[in-house]
Amino acid sequence: MPQNLENHLEETIDKSRDLDQLRQEIKTRIGRLQAAANHGLWALALFIALSTCALWDFSFFPSIPDEFQSMLGKPPSFNMISGALVLYSFSAIILTLSRMMGGSGEGSPFPHVLYLAAFYGFYHFAKGLDENFWAVFAAGLTVLGLESYRIWTYSNDEIRKEQERLVELERKRAFWSSDEHL
Amino acid sequence: MLKSFSARAIVPVALAITGFVVVCCLLLYSVMKRDMTRDAMQHAANLADTIVKSTRYAMLKSDRETLGNIIRNVGDQQGVEHVRIFNKKGLVMFSAASDELNHLVDKKEAGCIGCHNGPKPLTTLGKMEQARQFKNKKGVKVLAITAPIYNEPSCYTAPCHFHNESQKVLGTLDIGLSQEPLRKTLITLGERMAVFTFMILILTIGGVAALLRRSVFVPLQLLRSYAAELRGGNIDTPPPSLDGELKEVADTLHQTSRQLRESRPQREQGDLPGS
Repeated sequence: MPQNLENHLEETIDKSRDLDQLRQEIKTRIGRLQAAANHGLWALALFIALSTCALWDFSFFPSIPDEFQSMLGKPPSFNMISGALVLYSFSAIILTLSRMMGGSGEGSPFPHVLYLAAFYGFYHFAKGLDENFWAVFAAGLTVLGLESYRIWTYSNDEIRKEQERLVELERKRAFWSSDEHL
Repeated sequence: MLKSFSARAIVPVALAITGFVVVCCLLLYSVMKRDMTRDAMQHAANLADTIVKSTRYAMLKSDRETLGNIIRNVGDQQGVEHVRIFNKKGLVMFSAASDELNHLVDKKEAGCIGCHNGPKPLTTLGKMEQARQFKNKKGVKVLAITAPIYNEPSCYTAPCHFHNESQKVLGTLDIGLSQEPLRKTLITLGERMAVFTFMILILTIGGVAALLRRSVFVPLQLLRSYAAELRGGNIDTPPPSLDGELKEVADTLHQTSRQLRESRPQREQGDLPGS
């Protein structure tokens, strides 16, 4: 067997191995993106579960001892909590829209569930949760809905790009294998 | 789902605007409701003070008939659900409802249990804490205020009276006002805010959608139809009349298709020797 033909065969096998590895990497990335696309829905489900507890004013849970409550001090006023909620909703919406505009996949929706839980907590301790429950709930649905939509569209776009890369890879692989047969 | 350009452009805008406006309206309604309830409490507290001051002279003179008459007249006012004066033991001395007279106040009633819940009743309450909200036996939501009638020097020095100086509180005036007018005002306010919010949402989302349609979606649709014509082989179709960047894209498509048509014979000739 001539030397150059041997080299060509080795090169073809190496390329085929590289393509296999690349294909596996792309498939892993697609799997990861598919899982990430559902993060928004998971966060929404968690928030709705939390809101169900808040709707009953957390009566399922044992009440916090008076000593601990007095140690925490006086809760902030309703106006202060409501102002903070407006500010939070506004900045969270702006942040999500700017990420959407920049096509960024950064950020997770789960910290928002924590922030919203904190608002439920503040209103609960200020004894005003029954009046302000729907405001926090609407803020949560808006922020998490937008965040879920952003993550979902970003992940689907990336999945589409990865699938295109996969098709391209399959085409190259078919080309190399036909070359090998020749 | 949501694959079209228009849906992808409008959904986030609509969600962001709708959500934020709804959150702001709910918070605004809650703040206004709290302010109006506080005003109603202040009004009830002022009314209680007025009654205590109006009855002071009759009390000093121990004029029970006048005192009873004042209480009944106040009780006849529209919106006053109950008005009574009871002594330290809880015995109703004067009341607009005659069946309550000389009966002990039930401390387990919705209006009383707030302070009398524990083994020792609450004695020091702020002006706003003296107010309580509950549903009475008739099912009417009531905002009630209790105003203590304090012992004053003129009370324990009066020759006709038997109160001694050490007695701090002589009795308590309890007045309950119906919350029905406040409830109706809040419902009207809520309805007006809902209509206003709805109009703002329609205008904002409608405006954004109209502008997007006019500036982006319709020209894009024209460009898409033009590209489909070129793909179908109708190269002579003139490019659509567009502005800005989309006009450049349409012209580029037009030129590329013409160049392709013009170079086709050359390409075919060039291909022949190789084939």
